[in-house]
Amino acid sequence: MDFGWTTSDDAYRAELVSFLTQELPNNWWDSFAYDGPSGPELMNNAGSFNRKLAQKDLIVRHWPQAYGGQDAGAWKQIIVSEEMWSRGEPRSSLYLGANWAGPAIMKFGTEAQKHRFLRPIADGEVLWCQGFSEPEAGTDLANMKTRAEPDGDGYVINGSKVWTSYAARADTMFLLARVGATGKGGVSCFILPVDAAGITVRPIPAIHSPHDFNEVFFTDVRVPADARLGEEGQGWDIVTTILHYERIGAARYEFSRRTLDHIVTHLKARGLFDDPAIRGECSKALAEVEAARLLTYVVIDGRAKNLPPSADTYVARYSMIQADHAVANLSSTYLPDLLTHDGDGMLRAHFTAAITAGIAAGAAEVQLNMISGRYLGLPHGA
Amino acid sequence: MDLAFNDEQRVLHDAIVQIVTPHMDIPRSGPTVKPVEFMYADRLDHELAEGEFFSIALIDGCGLLEAAMLVYETARAPLVIEAAGSALIGALLTGEALPRPVAVARMEDLPRAVRFLDRARTLIVDMGDDVAIVSTDGLPIAPVHTMFAYPMGRVLEKVDLSGSRRLGPSAVPRLRHLCRLAIALETAGAMQSAIDFTTQYVKDRRVFGRPVGSFQAVQHRLAADLQKARGCYWLAMRAAWSDVPADAEIATLYAQRAIKAVNYDTHQFNGALGMTLEHALHFWTFRLRILQGELGGARAQATTLAETMWGDPSSVPVPVSR
Repeated sequence: MDFGWTTSDDAYRAELVSFLTQELPNNWWDSFAYDGPSGPELMNNAGSFNRKLAQKDLIVRHWPQAYGGQDAGAWKQIIVSEEMWSRGEPRSSLYLGANWAGPAIMKFGTEAQKHRFLRPIADGEVLWCQGFSEPEAGTDLANMKTRAEPDGDGYVINGSKVWTSYAARADTMFLLARVGATGKGGVSCFILPVDAAGITVRPIPAIHSPHDFNEVFFTDVRVPADARLGEEGQGWDIVTTILHYERIGAARYEFSRRTLDHIVTHLKARGLFDDPAIRGECSKALAEVEAARLLTYVVIDGRAKNLPPSADTYVARYSMIQADHAVANLSSTYLPDLLTHDGDGMLRAHFTAAITAGIAAGAAEVQLNMISGRYLGLPHGA
Repeated sequence: MDLAFNDEQRVLHDAIVQIVTPHMDIPRSGPTVKPVEFMYADRLDHELAEGEFFSIALIDGCGLLEAAMLVYETARAPLVIEAAGSALIGALLTGEALPRPVAVARMEDLPRAVRFLDRARTLIVDMGDDVAIVSTDGLPIAPVHTMFAYPMGRVLEKVDLSGSRRLGPSAVPRLRHLCRLAIALETAGAMQSAIDFTTQYVKDRRVFGRPVGSFQAVQHRLAADLQKARGCYWLAMRAAWSDVPADAEIATLYAQRAIKAVNYDTHQFNGALGMTLEHALHFWTFRLRILQGELGGARAQATTLAETMWGDPSSVPVPVSR
C-alpha cells in the first residue's frame, strides 16, 4: 500500500504546473474563470490554450499509444484533472472528450470513428457537450423521448435536450436518442456536430451562471448511420460505462482543497480566523475534502489496474459532493460579499460549481441509490 | 500510488484476518446473544500474542502500516481485545514490546474511566509535558462498570509518577499522534462492522410486508454511512502510511465526526432490538460512543488541525502526503 506519487507522477505534475503558470494570465480568476468552464471568456481562451496544450502533448498522454497517447495511465489523468479543475478547467469542455467521450469511442467505435473523432481531441481542436437530460427525463434518464428514426442510410432526429452545459459554444455533441423500443434497451448513442442543420440552441440563464445551461432542440436533424456509436440499443451500456468516468472525472476535491486555503487567507485578512469556531469549521471542511480525495483515488487505483468499474465510483462521487458543499458553505457563511460579481473570481467559480455538484453527473440521491443496491445489496423498494 | 497491499503486506493481512475471522461470530448464550455489555476475546488475544502480532511494528520491514492493519481488523470483531495500545502506541512510542495489555490515558483521566485499565499491565500516561511508562503492579486500580463495550478501569488514589520511567517532552506530540491514529483505526473498524451488521439486519427484518432495507429512507442513510466508513478507513490508512501529524489529525477528526450519524442510524434501523443486550449491535456502537470523545473529541482535533495547517499567519501549508 503506497499513497505516494511516483517520481514520474511528480515530474508530470511539475510539467503541467509550469505550463499553466506560463500560459494562464495573471487575472485568470477574475477575468476568465470566474464563471466556470462554460464562461464566455474562458471558452474564448480555450481554443488557443488547448492547441498549446496539445503541442506539449498534455491532453491525452493517459490514452493508449494506438490512439495518440503515451499509455501514461489513470494516475496521470487524475493529475491533469487536479491541476486543471482546480484552476477552473481552462480546457473548457475539451475535458469531456479527453476524459470519457474519447475512451467511449475507443471502446465502442468503428475504426473510421476512432480516426475521425480521436485525433481532434488529442489536438485540442474540439469542444464537446453531452445531450443526455430532457425536460421529462433528468434523473430518470431512461425515460428520455428524443428519437432517432432510421431513414435510408441514416437517421432523422427529433426531440430536445435540456440543462446541456457548453452547447452554445461546443463543436460536437455526444447524444442519447431512442431508436425503437422504450426503456433502457431502446437507447442509442450518436456523435454529431452541434451546428448540424435542424439543431437550435437556447441558452437558459441559471442561478449559478448565465452561460452554462442550454436547451437544445432537434428538428428533423439528419445524420448518417456512422454517427451512431455502437449498435442500436447499446446506448445504455455505453453510457453506464462512461458515466463511471464522468462521475469522478473532474477532480472537484482538489478545487475545494485549494479554495479552502484561499478562504482561510481571506478569513485571516479579516480577523475572522481568530475565532476558534471558524477555524474548526475550516478543519472539518478539510477532512471532508481529504476523504473525497482518497475515495476518488480508490477508483483511480482500480482503473489503473484495469479492474472493471465498481460501486466505489458512487461512494467517491457522493463524498465529492459533501466536500464541495462543506467548502462552499464557508464562503457563503463568512465571505458572501466575495461571491458577488465584483468579488473574488476563484471563490465565485468554486461556489457555483459546488452548488451544482449534487445534481450534475447524476443526483446525489442517485449515487445513494446505487450504493444501496450495488454496494450494500439492499433490496429494491416496492 | 498503489492502494492495494504489496505481497508482504497481503501475506500479513491474510494471516491477521485468518486469526480474527473465527472470532467474528457473535457470542451466544443459547439461541440469543449473550447479554453482556462486552466480552474480552481472551482466545483471540492469546492467538495473536502467540504469533507475536502485537510486536508487528518492531519487525524489520514492518511498522505503522502493519500495526494499523492489526488494529483495524481486530476492531471489526464483536469481542474486544487490546491491540492499539500494545501494537501501535506502545511499540512505536518506545520501540519495545511493553508488557500488555497496555492502557493509555491523560493524567487527568486516570481517576475517571480509562479503556483497558482494569486489566492493563502497562499504563502510558500523557502528563502534558512528558510521557510516563508505568507498570500497573501495585497501582490502586478498580474496574469501572460502563455501557461502553470496553473493559475500563480507574485509579482510585492520586498516583505519584515521580519515580516512573519518562520519555521526555518530545514524546508528548508523538504519543498524541499515535493515539489519534489508533482512534481513527478503531473507529473505522468498529464502524464498518456496525454497518455490515445493520445491513444484514435490514435485509432480513420485514416491516409492513417488506424488508426494512427496501425503504429508501433507510437505504440513503445507510449508503451515506457507508461513505463515511470508507472515508474513515482510507484516511486512517493514509495516515498510517505517511506517519504525518496532519494526516492523523484529519483522519481522527473525520472519524469522530462520522460517529454521530452512523451510531444514530444503525440504532434507528435496528429498532428496539438494537437497544437490547440480546442483539449484538452495541458491541460496536458503544465502543464508538467512547471513541467519539477520546482526546477531546472532534472539536479538539479540529482545533489542532487548524493550527497544523494554517497556524502560521504567513503561510498556507498543504498535507505532506498529498
